Formats: sequence, C-alpha cells, structure tokens
Amino acid sequence: MRGTLIVSAHGSDEQMEARLLLVRINSVLQFVLIFLTIIRSYVHASTTGQAGYVDKYITKTYFEKHDSLIDPEFDNFIANEIPLTLCKVLEDGNCVLPTLSNLHRSVIGEGSHRHLSSSIIFKFQPELKIKLVAHSCEVIMTERLPSGVFADPFELQHLVQRGVFSDAAVFGDTNLELPSFRSNRSVVEIHMSIGSKMLSRHHDKFEINCEVPLHARYPPLGLGFSRVEFGQPDLFMCCSLEVNGFKRSCAYLPTNNISDYKASPLAWEIPCGIREHAGVVSAITYCFALVSALLIVVLSFCYTDNKGSSKPKSL
Amino acid sequence: MPGISFQSLFIFSALFRVFLIIYGEWQDANMEVRYTDIDYFVFSDAATLMASGKSPYERSTYCYSPLIAFLLMPNSFLHQTWGKFLFSASDLLVGLLIHRILKLRGVPEKLCTYSTMVWLFNPFTFTIGTRGNCEPIICSMILWILMCLMNGHVLQAAFWYGLVVHMRIYPIIYALPIVLLLDPQHFQPGKKPVLVEWSSRALKPSSATSSSKTSITQYIWNFCINMITWRRVMFGIISASTFFFLTGLSFHLYGWDFLHEALLYHLTRTDPRHNFSIYFYHIYLHYEHEFSILEKLISFLPQFIVQLVLISRFALDLPFCLFLQTLAFVAFNKVITAQYFVWFFCLLPLILPWSNIKLVWKGLACIILWIGAQTNWLAWAYLLEFRGKNVFFQLWVASLLFLAANTFVIINTICSHLYSPLFQQLKQGGKLKQGYERPTAEPL
Repeated sequence: MRGTLIVSAHGSDEQMEARLLLVRINSVLQFVLIFLTIIRSYVHASTTGQAGYVDKYITKTYFEKHDSLIDPEFDNFIANEIPLTLCKVLEDGNCVLPTLSNLHRSVIGEGSHRHLSSSIIFKFQPELKIKLVAHSCEVIMTERLPSGVFADPFELQHLVQRGVFSDAAVFGDTNLELPSFRSNRSVVEIHMSIGSKMLSRHHDKFEINCEVPLHARYPPLGLGFSRVEFGQPDLFMCCSLEVNGFKRSCAYLPTNNISDYKASPLAWEIPCGIREHAGVVSAITYCFALVSALLIVVLSFCYTDNKGSSKPKSL
Repeated sequence: MPGISFQSLFIFSALFRVFLIIYGEWQDANMEVRYTDIDYFVFSDAATLMASGKSPYERSTYCYSPLIAFLLMPNSFLHQTWGKFLFSASDLLVGLLIHRILKLRGVPEKLCTYSTMVWLFNPFTFTIGTRGNCEPIICSMILWILMCLMNGHVLQAAFWYGLVVHMRIYPIIYALPIVLLLDPQHFQPGKKPVLVEWSSRALKPSSATSSSKTSITQYIWNFCINMITWRRVMFGIISASTFFFLTGLSFHLYGWDFLHEALLYHLTRTDPRHNFSIYFYHIYLHYEHEFSILEKLISFLPQFIVQLVLISRFALDLPFCLFLQTLAFVAFNKVITAQYFVWFFCLLPLILPWSNIKLVWKGLACIILWIGAQTNWLAWAYLLEFRGKNVFFQLWVASLLFLAANTFVIINTICSHLYSPLFQQLKQGGKLKQGYERPTAEPL
C-alpha cells in the first residue's frame, strides 16, 4: 500500500510537471505567434513604403505578391492591404475629402489602337483647396485592363515626358506581341496632379480628363468580332507630406455609386479570325507557296547562260 | 542624259540625310506622330542600360546582338542622334561600296553612278537609316564581304562573315555559294582572283576553249570531290570561330536572355499578327495548337528548295545569286516586315548593269506590280488595324498577291540577266582557262 501511495504520489508529480510543461509550451507558442504577427505586419508595412505610407506605385505591391491579376484578389488587396491613412495623417477630424460627383467613360477611336477616356468630376469643400495644393495631392487611377487589350509602357512614358500625366506605369503582362489567349491581364496606373490651376476654375469642383492609349491583342478565333468589356477604374487620392519627404498617404474614392457604368458597360469590338477559314487558308497557303517555288525552280533550270548573243543594255 | 559625278551625288546624299535626321528630331518634339522608328528607342534604351552596367535585354522587345547596343552607347553621353548618324553613315558606305564593286568589275562610270543612285535615292533606304533602323550596318558588312572576296582577302571576308551572322542570322544563307566560289579554279596560291569584266558580258566563251568550259554542274561535282581545300577550311574555321566567340561572349555576359532574344527568337519566330507573309493568317488560325512536324516541314520546303536551286544554278555569279537568294528568302519567309526589303535593295544595284530588262515596259511592270501589291496589302491592313474592319481574309489574299509579285520579279530578273561569273577560271599555274572573244564593237 505504502509503495502504491509512493507511486501514486510520484505519478501525480509527473502529471503536474507534464501539465506545467504543456502550459509553458503553449505560452511560448502564443508569444512566438504574436511576435511573428508583429514582424509580418512590419514587413508588410515596409513593402508598402513605410508603415502607413504608400510607395510610388500602388499596383506594384500587388504584383510583388501575385503572379497575375485576379479581380477578387485585387479587390481584397485594395480593401485590406493598402494603408489608406490619408485622413489620419492630415489630422482632419471630419475627414473631408473630395467626393466623386461624376465619372464618364468612353472608348475613343477606331481599329486596334484606341484611347480609354475617363472624365472625372470631384466635388470638394472650398476649405480643402489649400491643403490639396500644399500637399501635392494627386489622383491615382488604376485601370484593370481586360484580357485582350494592353498598354505600351514606353508610350505611356512618352506621355509622361510630354506632361500629359505626372506619372504612369503598367504592371502584369506587358508582352506586346502575344495574342490574348496566350497572355495575362495587366493593370495601368495613371497619376494626375491636382494643381492650383485645376482647382481655380470652379468654386467647389474640379475635373480630371484622362485618355489612356490602348492596343488590341489578337483575340481568340470566333465568328467575326470579339467583345472586350471594361470595368470601373479604382480611384485614389494621394498626398505627400512635406515633413516626411516622399511618404504619401492615400484614400480610396469609391466609384460604385456612379450610375454611368451601370447603364451600359464599356465595350470594344475587336475583329477576330474566323475559324471556318482554317482549312481553306492552310491548303491554299501551302499550294501557293509550292507553285511559286516550282515556277522559280523550273525557270532556273530552263535558264541558259548563253546570253552572249543578246544585245546588251545601252545607256 | 547629263553626266552626274559620283562625288556630287555622294555629297548631296550625305547632306540630305543630315537634313532628314534634323527634321526627324523636330518632328519627334513637335508632332504627335514621331519620325523616329520605334526600334530606335529600343536600341537607345538598351544602350543606356548597357552603359550603366546592366543587361540590354532588360529592355523588352530588344532582340538583337549586344553589339548593336554597344555601338549606340554614345547615345546616352554624346547625343541621342548618334545612332542615326551612325546608321546613315553606313547607308552612305553601302552606296560607296556599290560604286567600288561595280568599278572593280569594269562597269563604266556613268552606269556605276546610275546604279548607285538606285540605292542612294531609294526613299526606302534613305528613310530607314535616318529613322534609326540598324539594317544599313548589316548591308554595308555584306558588301564589304563581297569586296574582300573580289580582292582575294578570304580570311578577312571570313571574319566579317562570322560577325554579320552573329548580328543578323539571315546571311547564313550565303554560306554555300561563298564556299562554292572558293574553288581552286578561282583562287590560287599567291595570286588574286581574276574578275570577269563587265565588257565581256556580251561575249561568248571562245570556241577554242569551249571544251574546257566548266559548268556549274562540274563545279558542284568538283566541290563534292575536292570539298576540303585550304581556303574553304580556313573560311569555315575563321567565320565559325568569330561567330561562336561573339555568341559565347554575349552568352557569358547576358546568359539565356541573350540566347533567347537575339538568336532563338529569330529562328523560331512565328508571328500571328498581320504582316506581308502569306503564312500570317494560317499561323493565327492555328495558334491555339502547336503545328506538327509535318506542317512545319511543308511550310519550310518551298523556301528550302528555292534556295538550293538558286545556289546550284547561279552561285558563280555571286552578286546575282545573293540578290535572288535574299529576295526569295524574304518572299517565302514566315514573317515579312518592311525593313527586310533593305536586305535585297542593297544588292540590286550590283546586278543592274548585267540586266537586259528594259525600263519601258518590263522594268516598269516589275516596279508597278511590286509596289502595287504592297500598296494593296497596306490598304487592307489599314482597314483592319486602323478602322477595325474584319478583313483578315482579304488581307491574306493581298499577301498571296504580294508573293505572286515577288515571284514575277524573280522570274523576270532571271530571264533578263546576262549571266556573268564573278571570277575567271584559272588553270594550274595561274593562266586563264577560259578566255572571252571580244566583240568587234563595244556596246557602249
């Protein structure tokens, strides 16, 4: 009995120690988890410039983490991963920013090279005018291009050099040669400064017009034309703070309350190859090439070099 | 026709090109549509990257040898027009070399000048250099190789040949005719090869030596039997060494990016976008699936057969052979862009003095048909690309017509040509094997 008691007492001690050990391990694990979470958020903040600030290009961060553009993931990126801290930084208690009053979109031009035109009207409170100019605020528009069209990054740079935009970049698939079924989507990011000239035109609103040159890829084969539809752009207001140098803070300006897009989605009809042509085109192409080659071959063999009797050319 | 001195012509051409370069800068700065070719910006950006120690292949769509970017490095620290001046200078050099080659072959000065004008005043050629396209450099190297061969400088020709194939793949098609030409009957130890004079093009081979006339078939037979000669071996070794050295060095510096962009891309390029080739629509209609080996062979066969036959028939008349080969190569290629035309434009003046084709009407017919077929294609391409009409089928038919026009030009060129081997055949000991009877009256 006594031995059993001793064994029982020892057994209890071991169980206690095991429990204590488990508790300690649990605490350490929780601590590590919290530590990793803090590190992760710090690293995440670092990749977006610094904590609370946005790097030069908003879209660049998305493509550093993702290989291709997927709409739900990009929506999630905007909603949760971009530090939209403009109001906080401006220390504006009411957070009064310009609001989107109207957004009119159209595709201008004909053929494979067109412009995506966006006319954006903002309303703002007059007291905000000084802040917008003082903090070098700009509107950033990210255009998620549908599969089938692309923007030429070098063409956009040329427009930046000419002062049409303050900055522009393309992210995603920028291969200019591939047809649409061999390429991925891309995002165009356009930066437009809000200058004092723009703000002085009206008392309480300003308008931004943006025309982005786009080019059509060769679409998949079909019956004649392939339809490409554009979604709404994502609009941000970003401002720089003199105190913090190049650090910028941004705010998202929702566009889903603008009825223009809901009425009729923006579309571009691109001519496509007709599948039924395949057999005829291939057969005739091969035959034509072969016949032309044979003509040259036959003539070459029939050619004689005994041309000495021919009257040579005179001047 | 009033005489025009080559010197005045050359100076005028040079000044005109300088004017175009300056005008191009003005247009780029002041107009929406730029004068400068988009490729020039690609070269310049690649050169800037190279100048800052980076790979030129970081510039997307740069698919050339790093040598091109190297040549344009002064764009970043001298002036952005450096490259245009370099390409235009090469363009003028082509004119100079055309004139020299024709003079070497005994063509009269007047005919030399008029033939050279076909290059110097071709709107295509004077815009291509001034807009910033690098093809004039390649053309000048091809002509320099020809001149080296004519002067008996085989090893020098081999070096430049290796270099030009590294820069542009297409001159590889010239390998066989050049090697055929390096026959011991033309090149003998210690002696320069003897060129066949232009004035003898109206002559028949003398009857006394007709029994010893060596036909092209005999040359090919001799080639097969006596393939291994010192000159052929040295030409092969030096050109291959130059090519592999430059390619190896570029690969060492820039890795697989260089190999893929500068070599493999051109060898395997099948662009489904519309271009002058008859294959573009066929490629687009089948782009969703890979072509079988048989389909690839069938599409390669016409080009291969034509090249082989042209070489076997005309290799000894090297300038003529190179012209026909280049024109046929471009016409039957899977991708044809307008800049490829320069490849045979630079060889055209070299064959004109030997052509019997009358400007009125056969010559005009060739010109009108060729330009007309091109214009027809461009009109449909405009409707497709700039008006958004579905005219793929009509555009493809236009490309068939363009191939037909090219075939017509090739056939007429062959029919009108006075075959004239580049070199005279030599006996052992350097004596002429084949002489030519002079006509009683000079044709000019």
